[in-house]
Amino acid sequence: MKTPQSLTAAVAATGILTARNSHADPVADLVAKIKSPDDTVRGPAWQGAASAGAAALTPLAGVMSDADLEVARAARRAVWVIVRHAGRPGAEGERKAVQVALVPLLRGQPAPVGKAVLWMLSEIGDAAAVAPMAALLSDVELREDARCALLRLPGPEVAEALRAAFKTAPEDFKVALAESLRQRGQAVPGYPSQKLVPVKPTSLSPKPGATKPGQ
Amino acid sequence: MNDTTALDRRRFLKLTGTAVGAGALGFPTLIPSHVLGAPGQPSPNSQFVVAHIGVGGMGGTHVNNMLRFEQEGKVRIAAVCDCDDNRLEAAWGNTGQRAKPYRDYRYVLERKDIDCVLIATPDHWHAVQTVHACQSGKHVYVEKPASVTVREGQAMVKAARDNKVAVQVGAQARTAKGAWQTCRAIRNGIVGKVAKVTCWHYASPADDKPVPDSAPPEGFDWDLWLGPLPMRPYNRRYQPGTFRWLMESGGGQIRDRGAHQFSTILWCMNADSQTSFTVEATGTLPTQGLWDTAIDMRAVFQFKNPDWTLEWGQPGNKVGTTEFGNVFWGDQGHLVLEWEGGYRPANPEAIAFQLPPGGKEVYRTDEYEDFNMNHKADWFKSIREGHLRPAVDIEIAHRTATLCNLANLSLILGRKLVWDGDRQEVVGDQAANRMLSKPQRYPYCL
Repeated sequence: MKTPQSLTAAVAATGILTARNSHADPVADLVAKIKSPDDTVRGPAWQGAASAGAAALTPLAGVMSDADLEVARAARRAVWVIVRHAGRPGAEGERKAVQVALVPLLRGQPAPVGKAVLWMLSEIGDAAAVAPMAALLSDVELREDARCALLRLPGPEVAEALRAAFKTAPEDFKVALAESLRQRGQAVPGYPSQKLVPVKPTSLSPKPGATKPGQ
Repeated sequence: MNDTTALDRRRFLKLTGTAVGAGALGFPTLIPSHVLGAPGQPSPNSQFVVAHIGVGGMGGTHVNNMLRFEQEGKVRIAAVCDCDDNRLEAAWGNTGQRAKPYRDYRYVLERKDIDCVLIATPDHWHAVQTVHACQSGKHVYVEKPASVTVREGQAMVKAARDNKVAVQVGAQARTAKGAWQTCRAIRNGIVGKVAKVTCWHYASPADDKPVPDSAPPEGFDWDLWLGPLPMRPYNRRYQPGTFRWLMESGGGQIRDRGAHQFSTILWCMNADSQTSFTVEATGTLPTQGLWDTAIDMRAVFQFKNPDWTLEWGQPGNKVGTTEFGNVFWGDQGHLVLEWEGGYRPANPEAIAFQLPPGGKEVYRTDEYEDFNMNHKADWFKSIREGHLRPAVDIEIAHRTATLCNLANLSLILGRKLVWDGDRQEVVGDQAANRMLSKPQRYPYCL
């Protein structure tokens, strides 16, 4: 039987080992805290995630689809904090590293994750992000977010990607792509803007004996 | 005696040179002579045909205001529109079913008989519906804040000017007596030279009981409510009214009440043309739940030439007695303005203030004691008189909203922003500049 002093020493040694492990793997520590059922642990974890950097993005992406909605939300917010921190002036190396980590997350993830990543790349992505984002213009679930996110990126590559997608897009998405091409200064004959065309009539109807409109 | 009766707005604009000239955004604001009193411009005795887009919350107030104008023979309410059938039915009933109900606002805009629309939809809709209405030739009254991004605000200004329509934004304090009394007192030196203006405001709520996504309520068109925002499942925490606590829509207290308080402050400080500033914001964000706007917040804006500081505080330094308000700190004292100068009277010192010799009067439309009615009267006046520049013209409201939007941007990016008002960009921060716009979901786009 261990003496209390030995037990205390063992517990202390475990704590030291745990702390060493945390310092050794801050990403694992962050992910563990994000997964905590306790909001007082989760909240500060995601709000303080900035320094975790690109290395944390893939592990966190795996938590963005957690069955616990608040855990999933905390993971998504942690990723946003990392992305926006990396986008600050003078942090070009971090920005590129985050972009490199984000791009693979466009594929093979549940749609909400893919959508979030598209919007993240819209804020910090460069020309290298255009092609992987544009590849999603053919994905029915993600295409509209991809179209919008691409419009935030500068450079001629965006219009080229939109034009390429337009050639093979189904008619119902061609009209949206046409709108984007016009925003980039390109003419799209045969596809006039539909923005002001009403399509949703009301289901309300006058009660018998009611005053008619205009009376 | 009403000090403003001797100075109607048309003469005031000519005297101050604001009726003509290039706006700070570089868009020409010359008003061609054929526009003034042109065919098709309502005469002083003719009715405006109006329509309402968004009839819940403040939209209900607008309907009631128009019903009063209708009783006075000044308007005819031709249409009410809402994506929520329950609200639509209530508003429609309120008009005695004389107005025609619509779900899709574009039916309203395609009607040639409608002169004016009043837009009181959630904030993420303001720009798109305003621009579309302008492009359809309608004069617009749109709720504050003008926009949720800087680029949207610019588009609204351009649409108003290109289509020669009057766009009034619902920061009603600028036509309200309390703010007017404060403004003329501040501008004429009641506290001397003002170097700092502080705002206090209570905290924003956090969602302590988040709920899962669910089906939208019966009769509620989720696609139309979302409009420009990316599609996502419905959640009860989005609405009604709680859109205010979402950064992508309401933008929190700073964009909701701040739009009122900052509008009044800029007016009092005669600072509408001070479009460049720095802003640094800090605050506490909610740790859970859908709502993501600051619970408490401090934002400091620095203006140059003349130099002064604007400070937003949640809670801030509460000097007055009410839930929110402002303090003008001068070199000869300070003056408190409770709320924003609309619902509350001005400080007694401001009420009693007499213009000094050589003092400059401040114009305001003064047709109704009720400042909601008065603000709309000011809008109608700008249309009848042909100058199309109501008291909170869209360009003024865009500048106010820019303060709110950039404060939120500074908060979420965690850094100070230097705003170049002439170039309309953040200096040296590409990521921040990307966030000056947010592309809208098709077909609900600019």
